[in-house]
Amino acid sequence: MQAADTTVAVLDPSAAQAVAVQPARGVERVMLAQDKLPVVLAVVLVIWAGILILLARADRRLARIERQLDAATPPDAARGA
Amino acid sequence: MDPDLALPRYGLAYRLFGVVVAVWISVVLVLAVLGPVSNLPILEHTARNLYFHVPMWFVLYAGAVAGAWHAGRYLATGRTVHDVRSEAAWMISTVAGAVALITGVIWARFTWYQGTGLWWSPEPRQNMVAVQLLISGAYFVLRGSLDRPRQRARLSAVYALFATASMPFLTYVLPRRMASLHPGAEGNPAFSDMDIAADMRWIFYAAAVGFLMLAWWLYTQRVRARVAGLRVEALGTAAPLPAPVVS
Repeated sequence: MQAADTTVAVLDPSAAQAVAVQPARGVERVMLAQDKLPVVLAVVLVIWAGILILLARADRRLARIERQLDAATPPDAARGA
Repeated sequence: MDPDLALPRYGLAYRLFGVVVAVWISVVLVLAVLGPVSNLPILEHTARNLYFHVPMWFVLYAGAVAGAWHAGRYLATGRTVHDVRSEAAWMISTVAGAVALITGVIWARFTWYQGTGLWWSPEPRQNMVAVQLLISGAYFVLRGSLDRPRQRARLSAVYALFATASMPFLTYVLPRRMASLHPGAEGNPAFSDMDIAADMRWIFYAAAVGFLMLAWWLYTQRVRARVAGLRVEALGTAAPLPAPVVS
């Protein structure tokens, strides 16, 4: 049964029955616990990771613009507060 | 640099702070979704909203206090950076307030008002916060309607102080005088579980701290971007821009 064609099962739901349903183990056992709440967690964490990437990129760009502005500021201008 | 626009260095400590926020909120999300929940009737699993909905209120208040503080500093010193900071804090505060209002509407609709079809419930805090958001939103209308920077900064600073003064009364004092779903009002069963579920309490504190830190991160980004924009404008009037350095 290990060699079952899972691609067909995805494309044709009726063929899914041909794939033997195995008892949950490994990652599936983790994700199906607690009314499948871990699945929600996985989705939320992926979204949070995307937001963090955007935040970090914005930080890097701001730092670069600040460096360029520091370099472009005429030296005779007052520096600091 | 123009002393009016002087900002602190956002160096290594700031980058480390970002890492702390990333890890902190990730841990909070894990605990919030998988952690223990006081499975009460009506609330059921939606009690987890405590970790997301209530911290938005904290951000609303913290942003308003910061906005009022820098409004006062602007009126005292006349330094542009305080106007920038005040506006950024107000923006974060107002967005958090809108998010808190919307999440509260959704939460109430499917718990206490389940089966009534009431999206906009007679919950007093909800109505008062809607009024407060109109007051807060007028701050941005006021800013947008004024052209001269000094005048805009001065008038919006005065308005920010007024808008902050109304906030505790509208969102805290008045709702507590009426029957409400929120803690503190009489006959409110919504959060009595907080006294029992000690585990939820700690996750809630951690979530509040995490979202306040995230709000500060967003606030500093806004301030830095605005200050950079003003510095570019100042360069444009003082001297021609040098060729951009591409790294």
